Amino acid sequence: MDFSLIVRSAAFLGAGICMGIGALGPGIGQGFVAGKACEGIARSPENSALLTRTMLLGQAVAESTGIYSLVIALLLIFTTG
Amino acid sequence: MMSKKTFFRLLLFFIVIQAILSFGIDYKLNIGLHPDTGKFSIWNSEYPMTIQDRIMEEFQPDEYFKAKGVTPTIYGSERLHGFFATFFGEKTLYAFELIRMLIIVNIVLLIIVYLVRKSIALIPTKKQIVFEMMYSFFEDLTRETLGKDKTHFTSYVLTIFIFIWSCNLIGLIPIPGFMEPTRNINVPFGMGILVVGVVHFMSLKHKGLTKYLKGYAEPFLPMAPINVVGELSKGISISFRLFGNVLGGAIILLVISSLVRFIILPVGLNMFFGLFIGTLQAFVFTMLAMSYIAVEIFD
Repeated sequence: MDFSLIVRSAAFLGAGICMGIGALGPGIGQGFVAGKACEGIARSPENSALLTRTMLLGQAVAESTGIYSLVIALLLIFTTG
Repeated sequence: MMSKKTFFRLLLFFIVIQAILSFGIDYKLNIGLHPDTGKFSIWNSEYPMTIQDRIMEEFQPDEYFKAKGVTPTIYGSERLHGFFATFFGEKTLYAFELIRMLIIVNIVLLIIVYLVRKSIALIPTKKQIVFEMMYSFFEDLTRETLGKDKTHFTSYVLTIFIFIWSCNLIGLIPIPGFMEPTRNINVPFGMGILVVGVVHFMSLKHKGLTKYLKGYAEPFLPMAPINVVGELSKGISISFRLFGNVLGGAIILLVISSLVRFIILPVGLNMFFGLFIGTLQAFVFTMLAMSYIAVEIFD
């Protein structure tokens, strides 16, 4: 069997697994942040602008690990084989 | 103004035509002047490339054209590209497109500056009100984050925001060859180096040299390499966040456009990725740049 074919299929499989597991953490984290922000807005609606801004910032920071896994998946797809 | 009924009829028309024409997966739907007859029509043509080839052509044009042996289509002036190639060698197509887009962004910004400054007055016009609202929003943000005596940072922060925002928004314009300059890693990385440089300069200015150097040996001295890596990772994380969001959006847009033959759905997706994600990421970039400075100033 062709060895480069095995390497290529392994790279694609790795990219899929990388995105699948790497998207778990940011998803949970972003949902958690959004839920807490909803609670905060319900408790004090006059602070909603500040809370929304802080929520978006926190979500973007939580997203960064997902972005790293996206970059690694793209590297696996486009530079292997 | 087009009424709602006409709009939905037009939508239905395009969907029916798409459904009729898109039986074979390897065909591409074209609307425009037919190359053979010269009349305005809708027709199918062979779709020679796979999706992976399209992504390669879009994001690594130099490698793609070298591997396929095809003469590339150059957006913009060919003479300018030839001039470029004499200096920087063969692999310059992507760099040429990137620098072209950066120059276009800068020209747009300069035109906006000229138009706004020309109409500046005590009783503000509409344009002036928009930009004054933007400025005062960021001034409030700077005052909240950095303190009352640091409002002179507003110009730096607002410049970063407007530059990245217009870089993200220019990909919305449907002209062949227009792309977001932030799609290339070099532009966000350069912005990240700028941010980290400003952070360290402010830290030096605020703390003084000895206290700045002492900050690296924070719990105890052998931790110094880890602290240096932590400082470097600030710039890497802030630039990779912007890059990954814009590139991921562009790839999703390209794949879905290929699947639905470039009709209707990509417009909404383009609005989402270009307007929403672009604005959000530009805002997040500026907020993070500001909060890095705030961490160094308040201790």
